[in-house]
Amino acid sequence: MKRLILNLFEMNCVSHITHGLWRLPGNNRERHNDIEYWTELARLLEDGGFDAVFLADVVGTYDVFRGSADTSIREGLQIPNNDPSLVVPAMAAVTRHLGFGITFSTTYEPPFAWARRLSTLDHLTKGRVGWNIVTSYLPNAARNFGLGGEVEHDTRFEIADEYLDVLYKLWEGSWDDDAIVADRQNNVFADPDRIRPIDHEGKYFKVEGPHLPSPSRQRTPVLFTATASGAGTTFAGKHAEVVFTGGPFLRQTIANIREAAVEAGRLADDVKFITTAGVIVGRTEAEAAAKLARFQRLSSPDGYLAHASLPFDPTTLAPDTRLKDVAGPDGGVGRRRVANPEQTVGEFLAGFGDLSRHPLFAVGTPEVVADAIEGWLDDDGIDGINLLQYHSYDTARDFIELVVPVLRERGRLRTSYDPDESLRDRISGAGDRLPDRHYGTRYRGGAHLPVTERRAALSA
Amino acid sequence: MPARARPLHYAAFVMNTTGHIIQGTWRRPTAHQTDFNDLEHWVGLVKTLERAKFDAVFFADVTGLYAPYRGDERKYFEAGLQVPSNDPSVLASALAYVTEHLGIAFTASILQEHPFNFARRISTLDHASKGRIAWNIVTNYLPNASRNFGQDGLTKHDERYAWADEYTDVTYKLWEGSWEEDALIQDRETGIHADYGKVHRINHEGPRYKVEGPHLVSPSPQRTPLLFQAGASEAGRTFAARNAEAVFIQSPNLHTAARDTADIRARAVRYGRQADDIKFFQGLYVVPASTEAEARRKAAELDEWIDYDAQLSHMSGAVGIDFGHEDLDTPVGELTTEGVQSIVGWIKDLVPGRPATLRDVAHYTATNSRIVGTPEQIAEALARWQAAGVDGINLVNAEIPGSYEEFADQVAPVLQQRGLMQREYTEGTLRHKLFGRGDRLPDRHPAARYRGAFAPQPAQPQPA
Repeated sequence: MKRLILNLFEMNCVSHITHGLWRLPGNNRERHNDIEYWTELARLLEDGGFDAVFLADVVGTYDVFRGSADTSIREGLQIPNNDPSLVVPAMAAVTRHLGFGITFSTTYEPPFAWARRLSTLDHLTKGRVGWNIVTSYLPNAARNFGLGGEVEHDTRFEIADEYLDVLYKLWEGSWDDDAIVADRQNNVFADPDRIRPIDHEGKYFKVEGPHLPSPSRQRTPVLFTATASGAGTTFAGKHAEVVFTGGPFLRQTIANIREAAVEAGRLADDVKFITTAGVIVGRTEAEAAAKLARFQRLSSPDGYLAHASLPFDPTTLAPDTRLKDVAGPDGGVGRRRVANPEQTVGEFLAGFGDLSRHPLFAVGTPEVVADAIEGWLDDDGIDGINLLQYHSYDTARDFIELVVPVLRERGRLRTSYDPDESLRDRISGAGDRLPDRHYGTRYRGGAHLPVTERRAALSA
Repeated sequence: MPARARPLHYAAFVMNTTGHIIQGTWRRPTAHQTDFNDLEHWVGLVKTLERAKFDAVFFADVTGLYAPYRGDERKYFEAGLQVPSNDPSVLASALAYVTEHLGIAFTASILQEHPFNFARRISTLDHASKGRIAWNIVTNYLPNASRNFGQDGLTKHDERYAWADEYTDVTYKLWEGSWEEDALIQDRETGIHADYGKVHRINHEGPRYKVEGPHLVSPSPQRTPLLFQAGASEAGRTFAARNAEAVFIQSPNLHTAARDTADIRARAVRYGRQADDIKFFQGLYVVPASTEAEARRKAAELDEWIDYDAQLSHMSGAVGIDFGHEDLDTPVGELTTEGVQSIVGWIKDLVPGRPATLRDVAHYTATNSRIVGTPEQIAEALARWQAAGVDGINLVNAEIPGSYEEFADQVAPVLQQRGLMQREYTEGTLRHKLFGRGDRLPDRHPAARYRGAFAPQPAQPQPA
């Protein structure tokens, strides 16, 4: 019986993905600046047995729709937004088991500093941290870092691949497990013979090393990726332990990435799949339906349109215009290809802000919702969900109160945490460290690093 | 009864590592510096500091190894001398959570992070701490650190400060100029979260950075964090005089402190600021006991634990000259280095009347900044530093948490009695606590010129 990986989907901002709903009475989104927002949330989630809180991030604004960031700013759509990694230590301080997933882009920041921050987080959380690897897709983000426009898609993955290489060298190869000796008698804190520079020189990065933190519990944090393009699939197959996916072609995407993993020398099951899911639960059908109606009334289509970075404004077009006459001949609309270019603008627009149209969505009593979740697990083939929030913290509270007990009863969630478990062990069941078949482990013990090769040559 | 004094400020000078300033003491049975990977270690410390009414905890940092000593970096690993080390900013949110008033200052180099992202991290922490964050601006002086970030070697000293000028320019624009004060609306009725007319791109274009903006974070309590700086070279002093609100000094004696604080204050005035816009924090540590004899005994016992070879390696690695092969009685002589030029200057001042030797240097680094005596004697010594122009103390430790617990138990009460340390916190942000003039930078600070700078200009009246 497949167990559900249960995460809460969060972001350090006011309007993350359910736009307009920040206005719901009692919704705490505006408190995201306060550290207490995060510590209260963390405690709630741990009481409810969540596996992790997963924080999205962007480092730019959505300013394509209507040619500016105005809509985003008005909607509170991911601006203002704060750095997600920085709230993790506070959450770690008030929990013992909850895991933390944070998003960070490989396109703009030097790998050496990021490697150290993640190791620091892994130490502080005692192995409860994961990293969602993104390459960034916002043009404004590129321009915030001095690049003329978006870095071309496949190039971003080339950069990311080398970025990961640098990180594996630092996390897996720079320090041996027994490097810290702490021998007070002989005044030796760490053994220099077990620590080495990485001397990386690649197309995009030049990094001497050594890594500055000592080996943390997981060394490499749990690796998430979130895209399913061609280049993204190869990348996921090589690196990802968890793929965050969605969209209408779920089963195909899952199959493609498992195949890519096998091609990369891993097992098909080494990759877990998590999707966003919307759950609105009530003690009765009527109660659940009333919640949905309340949320739907405040839902803001403008927020969704801006979030989609549409290069055209359907609200200014006649509703019976066919999309193919608006978008280019290839049917592309913004970042996503439209499923049906024959669709009218009116039909297209109706989908924006309609909460029940989310691909994985369930509304109803706890049993109805649990049935849906079991279907996602067994029929759609996912391993877990990132629960969308309509209301912070009511969405989480409702789920914990009403759905978790049913899922536990059905054996889909365990009844208590394994004490002292790392995030990797929780997700994969295979220990704290990357399995040997993962590419990143090739640098263990300093293998495949120039200094090791030099020394081997000298003693040959 | 001594006249009522003005309180000094107190920061605990720490680093997210085992061996920070005083080397070798990690080996003492009572020392816990090796626990720095654990959150509880730091949480416990800041609670102690806040109970004793410290103004701040101050994290040093470097992002690379020190330059070779005796030809390689072996000694640093053996001594746990600033390696392994963890990122200090990552701790900040947890420390903010468990404290209410303590300032949280951390060092971050312009080398390690793009200013757009860095500005966001600072603002995030300033919000989370309700305005208690300080940034110690450093330019990096370690060649290995430069090579960790893709460069072939250390950027030349003065060029680093030009770089820092642009880096801070970008961050000032983001912190002070991007969001107007009332841009954030959060009106549930109208559904308008923010006024887009009041959130601006900065469109910065300079030699190193091109940054469009806008800043992603809404205005935090301080906007610009409290600014620390610690370089004492010519370019460093200019930078401090222009930008710093707090300057960290390590003067070898009262005379140097008086001279250097007066100099930087005078420069600040030349740049349009006020002499008291800058607070000087002197690095010191104390060995207290109930009698002077007992204090001396404790100091002598401490000296047995100090690793003088490691002390010298630290100095060596910082100035970029390998002292490791020399005999300890070798005179230091004339030195030029791209490393920390302020240290070179102080070495020359070390011993009046004769050239300083390496032995002097090693002993100096471990003991010169140390006050050994009863709490009353310590108080008197601190009052003399205050009279020399110092506003605060960056308190070095021989042990964590022991040195700070000892200070809190034995020394702080006497200081408080004498009015040399605050008894209660002032409400408000770190900036307001230190200066008493509000949460934001004063108008005369260079960052303030970006306020309103990116708002669209009103249309000019047409000529008749």
